[in-house]
Amino acid sequence: MRVNDAVIGILLLAFAIVTFAYARTLPAIPGQEYGAAVFPMLIAVGLGGCGVLLVASGLRHWQGAVVWSDWARTHHSWTKLAVVVGLVMTYILTASTIGFVPVSILVLLIFLMMMRVRWWIAAAAAIATTMLIQQTFGGLLRVPLPLGLLGP
Amino acid sequence: MSAITTAFGLVFQPSVLVTILLAAIFGLVVGAIPGLTATMAIALLVPVTFFMDPVPAVGAMVTCSAMAIFAGDIPGTLLRIPGTPASAAYTDEAYTMTRNGEGEIALGANLLFSVIGGLFGTVVLILSAPALAEVALQFSSFEYFWLALLGLTCAVFIGTASPVKGFVSLFIGLFVSTIGLNNPAGVPRFTFGNTELTGGVNFIAAMIGLFAVSEVFRFVISRSVQATPQAVVGNLFRGWGRMIVQYWRQQVRGNVLGTIIGALPGAGADIAAWVSYAVSKKLSRTPEKFGKGHVEGIVESTSANNAALAGAWVPALVFGIPGDSITAVVIGVLYLKNMNPGPTIFLENPQYIYAVFIIFILANLVMLPLGWAAIKGARTILRIPREILMPCILMFCIVGAFAINNSAFGVAVMLVFGVLGFLMEENDIPVAPCILGIVLGPMLEENFVTSMIKSDGSFLAFFERPIAAGLGVATLLVWFVPVLLAALRSRQAAIPREG
Repeated sequence: MRVNDAVIGILLLAFAIVTFAYARTLPAIPGQEYGAAVFPMLIAVGLGGCGVLLVASGLRHWQGAVVWSDWARTHHSWTKLAVVVGLVMTYILTASTIGFVPVSILVLLIFLMMMRVRWWIAAAAAIATTMLIQQTFGGLLRVPLPLGLLGP
Repeated sequence: MSAITTAFGLVFQPSVLVTILLAAIFGLVVGAIPGLTATMAIALLVPVTFFMDPVPAVGAMVTCSAMAIFAGDIPGTLLRIPGTPASAAYTDEAYTMTRNGEGEIALGANLLFSVIGGLFGTVVLILSAPALAEVALQFSSFEYFWLALLGLTCAVFIGTASPVKGFVSLFIGLFVSTIGLNNPAGVPRFTFGNTELTGGVNFIAAMIGLFAVSEVFRFVISRSVQATPQAVVGNLFRGWGRMIVQYWRQQVRGNVLGTIIGALPGAGADIAAWVSYAVSKKLSRTPEKFGKGHVEGIVESTSANNAALAGAWVPALVFGIPGDSITAVVIGVLYLKNMNPGPTIFLENPQYIYAVFIIFILANLVMLPLGWAAIKGARTILRIPREILMPCILMFCIVGAFAINNSAFGVAVMLVFGVLGFLMEENDIPVAPCILGIVLGPMLEENFVTSMIKSDGSFLAFFERPIAAGLGVATLLVWFVPVLLAALRSRQAAIPREG
């Protein structure tokens, strides 16, 4: 999925303008000219400059706003990408209440089944990986993985 | 002398040696599996090293990256798929050798010259770093500003095909580094009232996203079928003596070039391999043999990519300026361990520096037996089904990003950067400058603002001290010479058309 450089350039330019405007509102250190605002403003100028250059080069090679590569033409790939993003978001939103172990097994199971791994292999891999992480990160490294429903 | 003894004591402890061994095996497996890069190996390793003492943490990262760069040659030779980008330069050549029935010579050369290249880079590191540190002791904020800027500039110009896109990546990284309270004025920037953001964007979570999660996305949409590798049956050690004698020039050239390119900020093992392969072909007496299964170019470039790893540590240890994305991460970890890189570490904690040197030598020596074992076990490693591996890697990424602050916010940062990294690479925007920007951003800003305040806003002060002036001129040359050359070329091209 190649987005035309001009489109990327316009997005960058808009982002740079917003950043610059926001950076100007940052308070100065009393009695000094160079404070928190200088560096973000310089970055915004740089990003904006890149944006302009990309717009120029993108317009020269314009083949439409987006050129779809092979994978991007199929619904299949998009669904898979969305599922993976969704799985990570599920973890972020539910792990603290439900707990690491059940959420991890569920996330792994769905991902593995989506990759067409046979269900019993998927189940075994999901449980084994979760237990391994629980033992290494949770046990050995003492990371407080959320207990959730399994907790007191 | 006592610092060296202390260093040996720090390294030769059972727990440290076991850590190094495990990291070596991990690096070999990750490097050998196509689609998993050396940087990804480090990204997965960092959350674990987070909980270790400085010496085993650094030891694990040094060993893991050296092994992964070597192991990337194995699937390149057997499957024609480079395990890591650093092997891509000579994958076709090595695979052709396998098809000609010389697979064991190609892999043997990879192993032998990876070890020699790594050791050469280490010797350069040992000899040059302390000497450079003495010079660096006299640096002020002006020199550090130019050094950081020169480093970032090299990252953009050397590491990427399109400098504009390299700059885009760099500015994104620099922007991310400004988020939070960590700035000279201590003002919250771009936090929008979010308390989690006041601490800034954690670079470990960001790099797990950029280098590991984005690979998971790429795998999900790929339709590659896992191929069965060719077997290597012959004797790996065949022809080692002959190759060392016959190709000593190529090997030395690869070592030197690799170390130099590695030491340049922003250019790492992959670029060292590409440049060395091209140089080898250009200077060869038999350039017509290249591409048809000839070991000469492999010798030179496989020496170069391993030499580059140690070379990258020179600026990292001496100035705190990373030589590639792996050392960028290492620098971040060193800061977390209160082992701040820079010239003063050579005075205050020389035992740590010596420990790093010892680990480098150890890592390259254990590569011989472990590398041999990895080649022999290559069929098994390459048969690990990736559709099972990738979901498990995603879960390790999630837990790794969580473990840094024990909060789900790290996982969210990881996801955002995973999507960003995926979109960037789809559009040929390199991700390495971005991570350099995140790591170097605070240093660049601090030295810039301090220098501006010291000089009352006069830019000329940046050129008043001799070393600062030299570095400044060098940076400006890197910026403007390509533009001038391009302008000259287009004028020359225009003249005949007009006439």
